[in-house]
Amino acid sequence: MIGFNFDYYRPTDVTQTVQLYQTLASQEKHPEYLAGGTELITMARLDQIRMGAVIDIGHLPEASAYGFHNGQLIIGSAITLTQTSKTPHFPLLAEVGGEVADHTARNQITVGGNICGRIYYREAVLPFLLADSTVITLGPNGFRSAAIMDVFDKRLRLHRGEWLVQLMVDRAITTLPFYSVKRRKLDQIGYPLLTLAALKKDGLIRAAFSGLCAFPFRSTEIEDILNNRDLSKMERISQVIDKVPGPILDDLLASSEYRIFVLRNTLMEMFLALESEGA
Amino acid sequence: METVGHSVIRKDAFQKVTGAAEYTADRKTVDTLYAKLVISPYAHAKILNVGIARAQKVTGVRAILTGQNTTHLLTGEEIRDRPIIAYDRVRYYGEVVAVVIADSLATAKQAAYLVDVSYSPLPVVNSPTEAFQQDAPLIHENLGSYKKIEHVYPIPGTNICNHNKIRKGNMDKGWQASTVIAERSVTLPIADHAAMETRSVSCEILPNGHVIIHSASQAPFAIKRWFDNLFNLPQSKITVYTPLVGGAYGGKSAIQLEFIVYLASKATGGQKVSLTNSREEDFVTSPVHIGLDAQVKLGSDSEGNLQAAEILFLFDGGGYSDKATDMSKAAAVDCTGPYHIENVRCDSLCMYTNHPYATSFRGFGHPELTFAIERTMDLLAEKLSMDPLELRWKNAITWGQLTPTQVMLNKSDIGDTKQCIEEVKGLIDWDEGTRFEVAENIVRAKGASCFWKTSNIETNAGSGVILTFNEDGTVNLSCGVVEIGTGSRSVLAQIAAERLDIPVDQIYVKMDIDTSITPEHWKTVASRGLWMAGRAVLRAAEDAIGQLFWVASQVLRAPPDDLEIGGGYVYIKSEPRKRVTIQEIAYGYVYPNGNGIGGQVIGRGVYTLVGMTYLDPDTGKGDPGPDWTVGAQAVEVEFNARDFTYKLLRAATVVDAGTIINPKLAEGQVMGAMNMGLSYASREGFIFDKYGRVLNNQFRTYKLLRYGENPEYKVGFVHTPSRETAYGLRGIGEHGVIGMPAALASSLSRACGVPLNFLPLLPEKIWRATMGGKG
Repeated sequence: MIGFNFDYYRPTDVTQTVQLYQTLASQEKHPEYLAGGTELITMARLDQIRMGAVIDIGHLPEASAYGFHNGQLIIGSAITLTQTSKTPHFPLLAEVGGEVADHTARNQITVGGNICGRIYYREAVLPFLLADSTVITLGPNGFRSAAIMDVFDKRLRLHRGEWLVQLMVDRAITTLPFYSVKRRKLDQIGYPLLTLAALKKDGLIRAAFSGLCAFPFRSTEIEDILNNRDLSKMERISQVIDKVPGPILDDLLASSEYRIFVLRNTLMEMFLALESEGA
Repeated sequence: METVGHSVIRKDAFQKVTGAAEYTADRKTVDTLYAKLVISPYAHAKILNVGIARAQKVTGVRAILTGQNTTHLLTGEEIRDRPIIAYDRVRYYGEVVAVVIADSLATAKQAAYLVDVSYSPLPVVNSPTEAFQQDAPLIHENLGSYKKIEHVYPIPGTNICNHNKIRKGNMDKGWQASTVIAERSVTLPIADHAAMETRSVSCEILPNGHVIIHSASQAPFAIKRWFDNLFNLPQSKITVYTPLVGGAYGGKSAIQLEFIVYLASKATGGQKVSLTNSREEDFVTSPVHIGLDAQVKLGSDSEGNLQAAEILFLFDGGGYSDKATDMSKAAAVDCTGPYHIENVRCDSLCMYTNHPYATSFRGFGHPELTFAIERTMDLLAEKLSMDPLELRWKNAITWGQLTPTQVMLNKSDIGDTKQCIEEVKGLIDWDEGTRFEVAENIVRAKGASCFWKTSNIETNAGSGVILTFNEDGTVNLSCGVVEIGTGSRSVLAQIAAERLDIPVDQIYVKMDIDTSITPEHWKTVASRGLWMAGRAVLRAAEDAIGQLFWVASQVLRAPPDDLEIGGGYVYIKSEPRKRVTIQEIAYGYVYPNGNGIGGQVIGRGVYTLVGMTYLDPDTGKGDPGPDWTVGAQAVEVEFNARDFTYKLLRAATVVDAGTIINPKLAEGQVMGAMNMGLSYASREGFIFDKYGRVLNNQFRTYKLLRYGENPEYKVGFVHTPSRETAYGLRGIGEHGVIGMPAALASSLSRACGVPLNFLPLLPEKIWRATMGGKG
């Protein structure tokens, strides 16, 4: 039960969304874009978020696209995590997305919602960071296309009223060898102490992390260390820990010391998985 | 036997599997108002002001209750220490400080956000051990002036709300005879019952003053008594309805929301007000699973014969004593576990802390005391270089021996623990070994625990049953045992069917309780449903048979003593062909000429516990409960020594259940309880910050064992019949939970090589225990 009223809008054309947003914002309605709704509903129920209006983008064709086009995989932001697992065009996304929340929730949670959400794990972004994806957004200045590494810093940097429409991934990337693992407190369902997604391109490891800091990240500095074969694996791991780009979380899921312990083990497993063959 | 011993499908099965079953919150009516709680974000604070002006302005708000504008009556099961709505001080995170009543739940919720409460924080007592310190802040300064029952022993000027003592034998003698001594401290967190259905109530006051309560409760009859006690309402002016209850586990035996919703209805001119906990409130506002810090010292001779036990329990009762004081007493009663020890000293203290307050939880203090004892038994076995189950077998208490409260056990009082140990060893392949390295860093290990439990309920608790016959000879069974998910009411129908010798599908069991017409069952707690109501069913069946025989004796022209009932007939024993169907006499008999005799057969039966006594305050001597159910349990884990994670592989329980009425239901009860015990032991427990705030009052962060994470469950039964119960059954509703935490800790300790004396057994905590956090 949500303890406040809000208006619901369901625009039929993608271009109406931003107009609507601007109009509602000028009326002090504090509008929010709505995709799967799992986060909006649960947070509104606890009064952790309040909005006067929602603009449902879930049904728009641009946001529901999912398939290959001209050598690019197009993933609409309203595609659910279940869809990405059932039709695994991008196997790394299928695997990382398939570990978010539980099955019932994943039927509802969208790729865009997970990436733009307030719950800071945003694990669905990891495969896109590794894939050097392109993001297509729509805002007051129309459509914008950008390299994800340029617009994702802890979270997707969107302008007011702008929303994520699609992500694009090179087909070649979707077939690369990868490694992904989610470490939880104990259970098979739940938030990560650490989610590590990695893939190997041209003999080099790319790695992205969630659950370690209060934001997901991919760091070229860390990747340089991971790929420095002059150092032993243990030395590389120790250097990586020094270069984590923010305070390591220390919360009810785990202490920061334990997270570091888990990170060490997990990086070692990643090396075994990605460096063993043809290394 | 025709019905007893068969796995009859429970009467509520079809409604439940189709989703048609109705629970308290499903019963909405158009005139219902909704209440929403405003709860404290502080664990300990003075309430400076509760501002309701903004909330009152919301359209649709009917009334707002605060500590200032409502009664200051105090309530509590044994010590009356708890206000219905906090008025000058809050003592736990989540305590109710105001209640908004409105036309809709959304409106009530909206207005609840607008209630402005200002607090002045007070120092927080964050554990029972902290509460026990000399300089600990006092949580109840007026402890000495509270009303209380006679047999609870608070110590004013401290945070001790109950002190039970066990003094048996001679400790000097015991220690002198001990050549091996094992000492251990354990700590278990406060946790939640996490029933699927959150607590839900409604109240309406009719124009004639009659109070109608609907409550998802294990204790509808106790609600009636408490309304009498607290508000001076005659019991004929209160009706409590309880439909199916969606899981209870002890948590719904406490009375809390009922008082609030009554005040809410009163404030709105008696209109029906409904109040259902959100999950977050159900976790912290309503009472929780008790926590424990304990120290145990055991002594044995060199052969492993226990000689002495010295035990200190510090229970975490939370901000108010409620049922916690009774649990600390129950733990004292069975403090040694199912072992015979001649010299015992136990001090069981219930402590006030600034945690959510505790109420009964499946096992009632026994999973907690058992963890303390069994962890110490493991250490003792290690010191003796003895197999841990052999040590337990050797010391298992049996008839002819004295319990800690000095009850001389007879053959009906207690089952066969030794037999349970032998059988559980078979189920878990104990003799094949208890620790294997199956691969690099992968260890399989087993651990075991025994348990016993008596019911520790009121000395004169009782149960009543009415059997009314339909005209066609079928029967309606009415009793006060609440259907909390155990299937007890269906099993009672089996007992009635067996005695009346009719098919069980000819017995209808109404699942709702209406305290104005349903005969009372004290409370649906303590694994006493079948134990007490089973006897009442037999008595009611006898009564009905007597009435049937009276009519039949005239129809058949034979004395009642010569009659027998069976196969749907009443017949003459010596001449079975001379008979009359039950249908012909269920509503009396009509002769061919039209004359009638007799009338509807209505059998009634009651049963009250006998022989129980209060405990002596200085020694604990007394008879606390009717009998002890015993058992043995074991767990096997696969432990990863590199990352400290583990899998639950197998869990086994053998319980002496006496005669089993419904094998599948019995097995289900034990398995469900094992699952609950493993869930609590492996991952549950509230996480408090230094301010006493609960950080994990949501299922996002409060984890339960899910399907797929469970081990393979194996359940075995030993059958030592009770001589007091219907067909020799024993209570088994709670017992599967009791030894699971200890058995899991034992298996993981064996796997990692370091004693783990705490819960929950999370990989990080095992890592810390093993590496001292320096990994």
